[in-house]
Amino acid sequence: MKSSISRQHIYLLVASLILFIFVLIFSFAVLIPEGKEYRIKRVELKKANKELREYEYFYEETLDTYKNLQAKNRTIINAFDATFSPYRFEKQHKKHFSELTVSELNIASADKDFAVYEVNTTSQINSPKNFYDFLDAVNKSDWIIGVNFPINFKRDGELIRSSFTMKVYCNNKESNSTDSESVDK
Amino acid sequence: MRLSYIAPRKKSAFTQELQLLLTFFTITLLMIFLTYSFLLFKNYTFVQDRNEKLVEKENIMNSIDAMKVQIAFIEKQKALSEKVYTKNTVLKDSISNLFDLVPMRITLSRAELLHNGLILYGVTPNRDVYNFMLQAPLRSIFHRTYSSFYPTENGWLRFVSTNYIDNEELVDEE
Repeated sequence: MKSSISRQHIYLLVASLILFIFVLIFSFAVLIPEGKEYRIKRVELKKANKELREYEYFYEETLDTYKNLQAKNRTIINAFDATFSPYRFEKQHKKHFSELTVSELNIASADKDFAVYEVNTTSQINSPKNFYDFLDAVNKSDWIIGVNFPINFKRDGELIRSSFTMKVYCNNKESNSTDSESVDK
Repeated sequence: MRLSYIAPRKKSAFTQELQLLLTFFTITLLMIFLTYSFLLFKNYTFVQDRNEKLVEKENIMNSIDAMKVQIAFIEKQKALSEKVYTKNTVLKDSISNLFDLVPMRITLSRAELLHNGLILYGVTPNRDVYNFMLQAPLRSIFHRTYSSFYPTENGWLRFVSTNYIDNEELVDEE
């Protein structure tokens, strides 16, 4: 029995079959896994984008808090940063006393964040009110100063001689320098 | 000898069927490889983008951490300054109260305010004035009160009043 399909048609059929098999193998072995990976990576990227947006929002929020806090406490921050100057202190507070002498600054203690210096002060006042005014003024001065015990008052004619210790609080620059560097970055 | 009157047409290997097949093959393969290239390219860019986002996220996290440290430090500064300011105000009130405590008839010559006590030196017309007008209020404030008297030339009494607060209470206050 003689076949009606020509040889050329058989070649074409074989070639088509080969292409079909190639397409099938390529699709299942390469294209579909790559497509799956595409979907996974797209989802991962979306997730990363979402996380980044959340962090950016949180960053903005934290920055706002930081700036607000910094603005509200500017005086305190500057006071902690300021180096105590006995000369300037005397100049600022002399008006409360008839005489004011401030000793040299001695370090009293230091922890991770703050260093505390001690200053001995001797002064003469006309009345206790001058001392109260001084205590009010100290809270508004350029430094963070705490007046400490012992405080001595002694009558000296019409005046009162007083001596007391002050504690000056400031940033411990050695330990804080690394922190501020990291924020600057 | 010629068997046909027409000239034979040239036969080509690229028959119409073959051309159709090749076109179909080319289009199919092109589409497959283009899809594959697209997927490869997109996967590469996704990975690159994701890595960039992760680095960016890491930087933001570091900045947030640094800011949090700074915020905590400012809060600490604020708390410490408020504590110092309050102590100064309390000290002012304490000294004011101390001087208000001393009656007109008693004259102080010296006052020593200690961390846990108060020593007063002064002159009183007599013991009763001292006991009722100064020692009584001092006793209500301090845990231990000691007084000693020395007569002066004009008949008045010079006194030294030593008053202490027990340490446990001071520790509680701190």
